[in-house]
Amino acid sequence: MAYRSVFLAVLLGTAMIVAALLINRARPSFEVNQPTISLVRASGKCAECHRRETAAVVHEFELSRHALKGVTCLDCHQTAGGQEELDHRGFKISKQLTGANCKQCHPHEYEQFLRSRHAAPAWAAVRGPEDFSAEQIQFSEQFHPGAVNRKANMLAICEGAGAISRGCTACHDVGKPNQDGSIGSCTKCHARHVASVELARLPETCGQCHLGPDHSQIEIYHESKHGVLFNAQRKIMNLEARPKELKVTDMPVPTCATCHMSGIEGLKVTHDTTERLSYFLFAEHTELRPTGQQGQLAMKETCAKCHTTPTIERFYTEAITVLNETNDHIKEASTIVEKLRVDKLLTPVPFDEPIEFLYYDLWHYGGRTAKHGAFMGGADFVQWHGYYEVVSKLVELKRMAEELRSAHQTPRQDRPADDKPETSAVTQPNSFTGN
Amino acid sequence: MISPKPALLPNRTASPETKPALGGSWIHPLVCAELFAVANLAFLGVDILLAHSMNAFHNPAEWYPIYFSAVASLLLLISQILTRLRPDPGSWPQGNLAARRRWQWGRALGLFVGASAVVLGVVGLIYHLQNQFFELRTIKSLVYAAPFVAPLAYTGVGLLIVLNRMVACDQPEWGWWVVTLAMFGFAGNFVLSLTDHAQNGFFHATEWISVVAAAYATASLVAVMIQPESRPVLRFTAWILGGAGVVGMLGAGLHLLGNFEPAELFAFSQDLLSGKVSQLLTSQELRDRLIYGAPAFAPLLFTNLSVLGGLGLWGIVRTRAGSSVR
Repeated sequence: MAYRSVFLAVLLGTAMIVAALLINRARPSFEVNQPTISLVRASGKCAECHRRETAAVVHEFELSRHALKGVTCLDCHQTAGGQEELDHRGFKISKQLTGANCKQCHPHEYEQFLRSRHAAPAWAAVRGPEDFSAEQIQFSEQFHPGAVNRKANMLAICEGAGAISRGCTACHDVGKPNQDGSIGSCTKCHARHVASVELARLPETCGQCHLGPDHSQIEIYHESKHGVLFNAQRKIMNLEARPKELKVTDMPVPTCATCHMSGIEGLKVTHDTTERLSYFLFAEHTELRPTGQQGQLAMKETCAKCHTTPTIERFYTEAITVLNETNDHIKEASTIVEKLRVDKLLTPVPFDEPIEFLYYDLWHYGGRTAKHGAFMGGADFVQWHGYYEVVSKLVELKRMAEELRSAHQTPRQDRPADDKPETSAVTQPNSFTGN
Repeated sequence: MISPKPALLPNRTASPETKPALGGSWIHPLVCAELFAVANLAFLGVDILLAHSMNAFHNPAEWYPIYFSAVASLLLLISQILTRLRPDPGSWPQGNLAARRRWQWGRALGLFVGASAVVLGVVGLIYHLQNQFFELRTIKSLVYAAPFVAPLAYTGVGLLIVLNRMVACDQPEWGWWVVTLAMFGFAGNFVLSLTDHAQNGFFHATEWISVVAAAYATASLVAVMIQPESRPVLRFTAWILGGAGVVGMLGAGLHLLGNFEPAELFAFSQDLLSGKVSQLLTSQELRDRLIYGAPAFAPLLFTNLSVLGGLGLWGIVRTRAGSSVR
C-alpha cells in the first residue's frame, strides 16, 4: 500500500517537472536564448515597470519591427563604446543613446549617414566646427569641403541663444557630436521606440525640418504631382516594406526617401542623402557638387523607375535653366551689395542694416525656392514664391542701394581704417547662413 | 469544527499561570506552529518591503501588507499570550471565569488575524494579476508580472492560524491539515521558482534545482495526504522535505553569490565586523543589489515550508497510536 503512494508521488513530481520544461520550451527563442541574463530579463522585465510608468513607450516599441524580431530594450539601451553607464533598477544602461547604439547592429547605415550632409555639416552650419574633434572635421571635409570647417551662423548669433536652442538646433542636431565620439541620432528620422522605416519614408518626417520659406521642400512636394498622388494613394502603399526589397508596387509614387535614399527595384539603399544630388541648390550661388555628375546619374536612375529618359532629360534641362537664371539674378544683387561694402556704405557687422536682410531674403528665400521648385516639380514655387520674389526684391534692393549712395554722396573720410571689412558676406558665400 | 480531545491535556487542574499547556511541554507541534505563524507573519513584512521597493511602491496599496504584517504579528502574539497556546478553555479550572474569558478573547483575536491574512492574500493575488496578466493573458505576462502566487503566503499563514484555533492539535486531522497547507505552499513555490527563474530564461542549469525540489516536495506531501497512516510514506516524505530544506539554504547561497562577488561579500563582512553598520545600511549599491538582484530570502521559503511540512508530519506521527511514536 505504501508503495502506491510513493509511486504516485514520484509520478506526480516528475509530471510537474516535465510540464515546466514543456512550458519553458514553448517560450519564444529570444526570451531565453540570449548571451547574458540581463538581456533575457530585458525581454520582459523592462516592460513590466514601463507599461505603468511610460506606457506609450512600451506600446510604440511593441509596434516596431525590433519587437517582432526579438530585439530587447537592453539591446539598444546598453552602453556602446565610450558611453556613460547608469544603474537603473538592476540593469546597467547607457545614460544617453546616440547613433553609436544603432551602429552596433546597423554599421553600414551609420557609416553612410556619417558621410552625408545630415551628419557633421548640419551641426556646423549653426555652431561651426568647435564641437567636433580634428578627426571628425577631417573626415567630413573629405566629402563636403568647407561645410564643417567654417564659421558659426552669424544670423543665429544675432538672434540669440533661445533662437539657436529651440529653433536652429532642433533640426540641426541631426548632426550633433555626442560625448561618446559618435555623431547624430538616427531617432531624428526613425523615432525612438517604434524605430520605424515607415516613419522615415513619410514626407512629413522630412518636412519637420525641410519646410518654411528658406527650404520649403515639403510644401513643394505636396504641390507636386508626386505629393498629390501620394496623398491620394497613401492607403494602398506599403511603407513598411523592407528597404532592400522595395518594389514600385509597394510605393507606386515616391516620397522624399524614395528618390533620395531608397533601394527601389534593386537600387542601392543609402543613408547618405547627398549621394543622388547634383547641385548645391541651397547655396547663394549654386554650383555643381564635387560628386554632382555621379549624383545626377544616380538620381536619373531612380527617376527611370517611373519616367522615360526623354522626360527625365527634359526635366533636368528645364530645371538647370531655372538654376542658371536664378544664379544670374542673385549675382546681380550680390554685386550691388558687394560694391556698397567696398565703398564703405555698409558696416562690416552682418545683419545690422535693412538691405542686408533684403538681400538675404532674396537669395535665401526666393532664390532657393525657385531652384528647389524647379528640381522638385513645384511650379508655383518656381514662379510666385521663387522668381517673383527674386525679381521684385532685386528692384527694391536697387532702390535701397541708390538711396544709400544718395545719402552718402562722398565716401566718409573720417571712418577709421579698421572699420573696413576684410571680407564681405557676398565674397564669402554661406558665411551668414546655416548652409 | 472538531472538538479537542482531552488526552493531550492531562493536567486539567494545574494552574494555567505556572504550568505549560499541552502535556506539560512547550516542545509541541502546536507551539512550534504558532511560533512559525508569528515569525512568518512578521518576516513577510520585511520580504515585501524589499519586493515592493523594486516597484518603488508605485501603488500606495503596496504599503498595506507591510502595515498588516507589523500589526497582525503583534496581535497574534497577544492572542497567543491570552490563550497561553491552549487549544481549549477546559484546561482552566471551572471556576476561573476570567481566565476562560481571556482565552475566548485571545482565540477570537487569533481567528480575526488569521481570517484577515487569508483575505489579504487573496486580494494581493488579484492585485498582482491585475498588474499585467488580466490585460495581456500571456505566459510572458505571468512570468514578468508581480509574482501572483506570492501574496498567497499570507493566505497560507492565515489558514494555519485559523487551523490552530479550530482543529484540536492532538488529533491526526491537525497534522493532516498542516501537511495540506505545506503541500499547497510547495505547489505555490513550484510556480514561484518556475516563473522567477523563467525571467532569467533558466540561464544557469542550477535554476532548475528549485523547480525539481518543489515538484517532488509537493508530490510527496500529496502522498502523505493520501496515506497519512503509512510509516514508509511519512519517512519518504521526511527525507524529501529534508532535501528541500537543504535546497533552500543552497539557493540562498547561490542568490547571494549571484548578487555579490565573493570579494564584495568579504568586504561587507569586514565592514560589519568593524562596526560600520550604518554605512552598510545606507549604502545605495547594497540596497540596489538586494532590491533588484536575485531575491535574497526567496529560497529560504523552501526551508520554511520544509519546517511546516515537518510539523505536519510530527503532528501525524504524534497522534498516531497514542503518543508512543514521539
